[in-house]
Amino acid sequence: MFDYAFMRNAFLISLLISLICPLIGTFLVLRRYSMIGDALSHASLAGVATGLLFHANPIISAFCLTSFFGLLIEVLREKFRRYAELTLVIVLSLSVGIAITIISSGLVHANVDFFLFGSILTVSQGEVTTVAILTVVSLLTIFGLFPQLVLLSFDEDGARILGVKARAINYIFSILVAATISVSIRIVGILVISSLIALPVATALQLRQGFKKTMALAVFFSFLDVMAGLLASYYIGAAPGGITAIVSVLLLLLVIFFQSCSQKREVPHAQS
Amino acid sequence: MLQISHLSFAYEQGPYLLHDLSMEIRDGDYVAIVGENGSGKSTLVKLILGLLSPSSGTISSTFRRPAYVPQPTDMINKQFPITVREVLDYTRQVLQIKDRNAVDRALDRMHIASLQDHLIGALSGGQYQKVMIAKALLGKPDLMIFDEPSTGMDLKSQDDLYPLIHHLNEERGITVITVEHNLRYAAHNASSFFHVVRGQGHFCTPHEYIQEYLTENGGDCAHV
Repeated sequence: MFDYAFMRNAFLISLLISLICPLIGTFLVLRRYSMIGDALSHASLAGVATGLLFHANPIISAFCLTSFFGLLIEVLREKFRRYAELTLVIVLSLSVGIAITIISSGLVHANVDFFLFGSILTVSQGEVTTVAILTVVSLLTIFGLFPQLVLLSFDEDGARILGVKARAINYIFSILVAATISVSIRIVGILVISSLIALPVATALQLRQGFKKTMALAVFFSFLDVMAGLLASYYIGAAPGGITAIVSVLLLLLVIFFQSCSQKREVPHAQS
Repeated sequence: MLQISHLSFAYEQGPYLLHDLSMEIRDGDYVAIVGENGSGKSTLVKLILGLLSPSSGTISSTFRRPAYVPQPTDMINKQFPITVREVLDYTRQVLQIKDRNAVDRALDRMHIASLQDHLIGALSGGQYQKVMIAKALLGKPDLMIFDEPSTGMDLKSQDDLYPLIHHLNEERGITVITVEHNLRYAAHNASSFFHVVRGQGHFCTPHEYIQEYLTENGGDCAHV
């Protein structure tokens, strides 16, 4: 199947997505920000619609607008400290409002379905380059700020006392989430990106390992999810996003099942 | 030295929790902050650490390396996937300590080397607090603040903990502030008490604090 250029492009992007999504996802899940990832993935539709409207690269426009909405969430979270979920409603209303207005007006002459559900057929070489650049920059930023991000996720007050600049890092993190969502749009699709950000991490957490091992396991599970979506898309023609989401849930349930079975086996052993 | 002048604090639109409070802590002091639940002790500590900003008044400090040891029962997130060694190693990296052996020394100092690969959520309250003290000591602190250090700990762990705090204060010259409910240990170790009551505070001896407490509570000494 790699004789086809579109499959090689799709495979490259899938590889990058399966790396970046769980890395960002680990911090999002552990900081209990999963819903922010979900809100921003929907908000990226406004970026895609704007890009298509102005004939710009939709991944770049999605990155710009999703970054803006990510920063807006951070600003609003400080304003509405006691009603943090309200910020998500505000950002969703604004972003989805923009997207629906542009798409329903008939000004966009492109198929938005590819961005909603993901597609392996329409990935261009230029988009592979854009995704690669965004991924590499995101990876460098994550590894540059890794100890700060871990301690902020573990104990934000403790990290602040150690001198971690929490507010600045939270803003940078919002942009990283935006970049992750933008690179994932093409293959996974806007509607199910959050499953790829959160579910491999949830699966890895079941195995109760340290931070680095949990992150590595999340990358492994994410790779399985994305590749299953890619192969299914090639052989049965379905959009890869749907299969990826289904496989990620099945994998999580499978790991939960095996974990509970192994715990049941350990109990009589411990008593004897 | 830590100097607090006419400090007032209220959460958003709420009433003043601290009002016109002043205190001074000199280098090498061991001060136990005491008072009833909800009197504002923990809020005062958060203000000292810079986690909250005063509504009015000033806090000036010459301490450059403050460290905080949370309550042992206040485990941040028991499900968080991080080992003891990872907590200390990421702290070392944030503090830009280049010597990787600093983590081993911190583990040895607190006699927790055998726990280094344990997940933080699998530790007992006493073990968790030892990790937090090891984490605090990595930064070579000049001020250590303990929030209710004996809460949720058995007597054996308390007997281990207080001599250690005393040692850090006496032998290593670290200024110590503890938010205390355990008056037995506090009276034995602290150089003075700071009683927070009705949003204000004053220094007193343990004996004076007990007298004040009994007067306020009509002779009910259950807490004491």
